[in-house]
Amino acid sequence: MKTDQLIDMLANNVEPMQRPAWARRMAATLALGLIAAAVLVIVVVHIRPDIGTSMTAVLMKAAFSALAAAVMLPLVMRLMRPGAPLGWRVAAVFVFLGICVLTTAIALLGQPTTARMHAWTGGYFPWCIVAIPLFAAPTAAALVWLMRGLAPTRLTLTGAAIGALSGGIGAMAYAMYCPVDSVAFVTTWYVVAIAICAAAGALLGSRLLRW
Amino acid sequence: MNTDASSADDAGLRALLLKGLAGDAAAHRNFLMGAATLLRAYFRNRLRGSPEDAEDLVQETLVALHTRRDSYDPNFPLSPWLYAIARYRLIDFLRRRGRRKGDFSLDEVDIGEPDPEFAASDAKRDVTALLAKLPEKQRRAISLVKLEEKSVKEAAEATGYSESDIKISVHRGLKALMKLMADAT
Repeated sequence: MKTDQLIDMLANNVEPMQRPAWARRMAATLALGLIAAAVLVIVVVHIRPDIGTSMTAVLMKAAFSALAAAVMLPLVMRLMRPGAPLGWRVAAVFVFLGICVLTTAIALLGQPTTARMHAWTGGYFPWCIVAIPLFAAPTAAALVWLMRGLAPTRLTLTGAAIGALSGGIGAMAYAMYCPVDSVAFVTTWYVVAIAICAAAGALLGSRLLRW
Repeated sequence: MNTDASSADDAGLRALLLKGLAGDAAAHRNFLMGAATLLRAYFRNRLRGSPEDAEDLVQETLVALHTRRDSYDPNFPLSPWLYAIARYRLIDFLRRRGRRKGDFSLDEVDIGEPDPEFAASDAKRDVTALLAKLPEKQRRAISLVKLEEKSVKEAAEATGYSESDIKISVHRGLKALMKLMADAT
């Protein structure tokens, strides 16, 4: 078939296309992912038993995770549109990382030397770096599905950004369970967990998002 | 990044694409014609010495632009969108070819003076043959609506499917066709 014939074929009986409602589709996808993650947390690891007295800490951790997701969101929204300039959106991610490192340092310096290690690691292996990626998986799957319907052109970057955004959503749900309330713990290990999600996304992106 | 399209061309093509998105078939046809010219220059510049491969990529990218035209956000200029997709199809093509040949060198990708000869050459692969590989429902929907120029309503009556079924089959079929085109290269 010649190219002109192909064009004739494509242009035959063109149907009006619905404008994609970018923001609404993204909001619905993230809401779905958050609900799935919350259900997983409740069923698999359960809400922490002292939720009544630790509500403030839980909300703070959830808010920190939501902030991490919010930092990723503008980048993902831009990557949904092929060819749209990314501008400050990548830099914003690194500014956020810098603030986390700074916050960790300040929080640890405020602790007596003997308590520092405990405040940093929570006293044992930081399981959140395993758990958060698992709770991020439903959001990641939904975002891959959303993205595949569009036309992603920078697959590795898109994969990483989707991964990190899902990590933020997964961490929001994980905060209901997470028993460690130290600031330095959250600003270190939650961020590491989200970075693991981003790395996994970068590795899988070119395979899962290919079209 | 790309100066192949002047901003006047960009505005003209953009207007055609937007009319096409609203359902104007003639405008959409003109958009695809304009896009084909830009794509041909783009791919020929980068795949010197294999105009058939370039034409394959023109066709593949036209189907990609058509089936994924809702990924265009009217708040942004048109050419970055068009070239981002073209570039992605080119990279995908080079990866596929690299994987098949085992090794592939970037030397083959020649970025230099524009190719003076812009006329369509024949593509290597035959889209008609690829259409036959689609699942029966999609193949019939495309062949009635897109090749025999039947309306969606007539196609629905001829096949017994609902009209929305026909529309979805055409859309999915064309997306699958692009995948087949890519895999056949």
